[in-house]
Amino acid sequence: MDLKALKAQESKRKISKGYMWALFCAVFWGIWYLPGTVVWVLNPFDEMYGVIAGTSGDAVSLVVTAALITAFNALTVMLALMLWNGVLGKFGELGRTLKEFHPCSKWFFLASIFGGPIAILGSFMAMGFIGGAFAAVAALLYPVIGSVLAYYWYGEKISKRAATGIVIIILGGITIFGGGVITELAAGSVPWIGYLGGLMAAAGWGIEGAIAGKGLDISEPDVGLTLRFLGENIIWWIIIVPILAIVGYPMYSFALQAFEPLTLLVLIFAGITFGFCYVCWYKSFPLIGVGRGQGIGNLYGLCAIIFIFLFFGDVPQWTIIVGGTLCVIGSFVMFTEETSALETLRGE
Amino acid sequence: MGKNRPIKFRILELFLDGEAHWNYEIVSKIQEEYGMKGNFHRDSINFDILELASGGMLKDVEQKVDEEGIYKKDFLLHKYMITDFGKVRGSDACLRYV
Repeated sequence: MDLKALKAQESKRKISKGYMWALFCAVFWGIWYLPGTVVWVLNPFDEMYGVIAGTSGDAVSLVVTAALITAFNALTVMLALMLWNGVLGKFGELGRTLKEFHPCSKWFFLASIFGGPIAILGSFMAMGFIGGAFAAVAALLYPVIGSVLAYYWYGEKISKRAATGIVIIILGGITIFGGGVITELAAGSVPWIGYLGGLMAAAGWGIEGAIAGKGLDISEPDVGLTLRFLGENIIWWIIIVPILAIVGYPMYSFALQAFEPLTLLVLIFAGITFGFCYVCWYKSFPLIGVGRGQGIGNLYGLCAIIFIFLFFGDVPQWTIIVGGTLCVIGSFVMFTEETSALETLRGE
Repeated sequence: MGKNRPIKFRILELFLDGEAHWNYEIVSKIQEEYGMKGNFHRDSINFDILELASGGMLKDVEQKVDEEGIYKKDFLLHKYMITDFGKVRGSDACLRYV
């Protein structure tokens, strides 16, 4: 076979593999909202919510319960990623990367602060108080935060096309948040803390992405992601959960009760889907470019709505569907601008 | 330095000499240094090179067909060179302790 035909074949193989990884990411990410929503009605979390709500009120109880759920989510993601690294034979690389604190792993620990206690906690708050579909779609606003941050931080220019994408995503965001708030204002009670959670998810993931990228580009993503979750586990299990326990919330007694089959199964399901959506996401980037990888990955919003409909039979409000569609269109407009990655792949 | 640094650091370090290198040269050097045998590790190291290239730190400067099966018979071989961005990232990460 000649050089030209081989180049075409290689590029075709890369592109189809890249799209496959990105689609896997969207599907795993979308599925994650199923265990994320279900876990709220399982014990010990259901009981914990009731007990703390009785003494400290609904809002505080929601945040404290969400903290324990997020801590368990971090733990099961870590287990799934350790298994993944074991299968790939990357424990040696894990140790080598961990030691490079200054150039590399400090970025993962910094990223985990924004990813864990802000983005994932926010997502669980939104799932608990408003619903999975809202939580999924609200987080679609994250590229706006990411690019605004890159503008101020690295002085990265926002092109006309990216700006158009941002405007479409923001319109989507207004539809998602506004639609819900108006309906609930009419009903008399607005679950503000759920909406705050949605905003935390978008802001946290936007910031996490900008920071984690600095370490991930010079490390192996399988390893880098594991270290990012190691950071998150430290934050939850060594800092936040003990502090909440000292303040007087019954964290440990409920945490120990989580070791019952159904709850564990749901938590492990959350860990596997969440861990692998990150892995697939990063595998797609070198093959089809970061832009396309993120664009396709954002289809998770629609996947989540579909899965929630299939498994729970919940039809989301029309504002969530319209807003989510706008967000996905906006992210495609924004992310498909970068064509150089595919051109390089084509060997032009 | 050598095998106690992360693999991508070492790859960047090998390219910091400013010369263009074929992927199979880098892959076999890393395999030898880190004691990584077998095709699975070979492909995994090659994917690291691909990731560095897609991150803008290496650029693909030449391709040829692997007719003799030096790496993978009848597949493409790629020759890479470090970019300016790669030099900055590579020096930050690798040369700090030298």
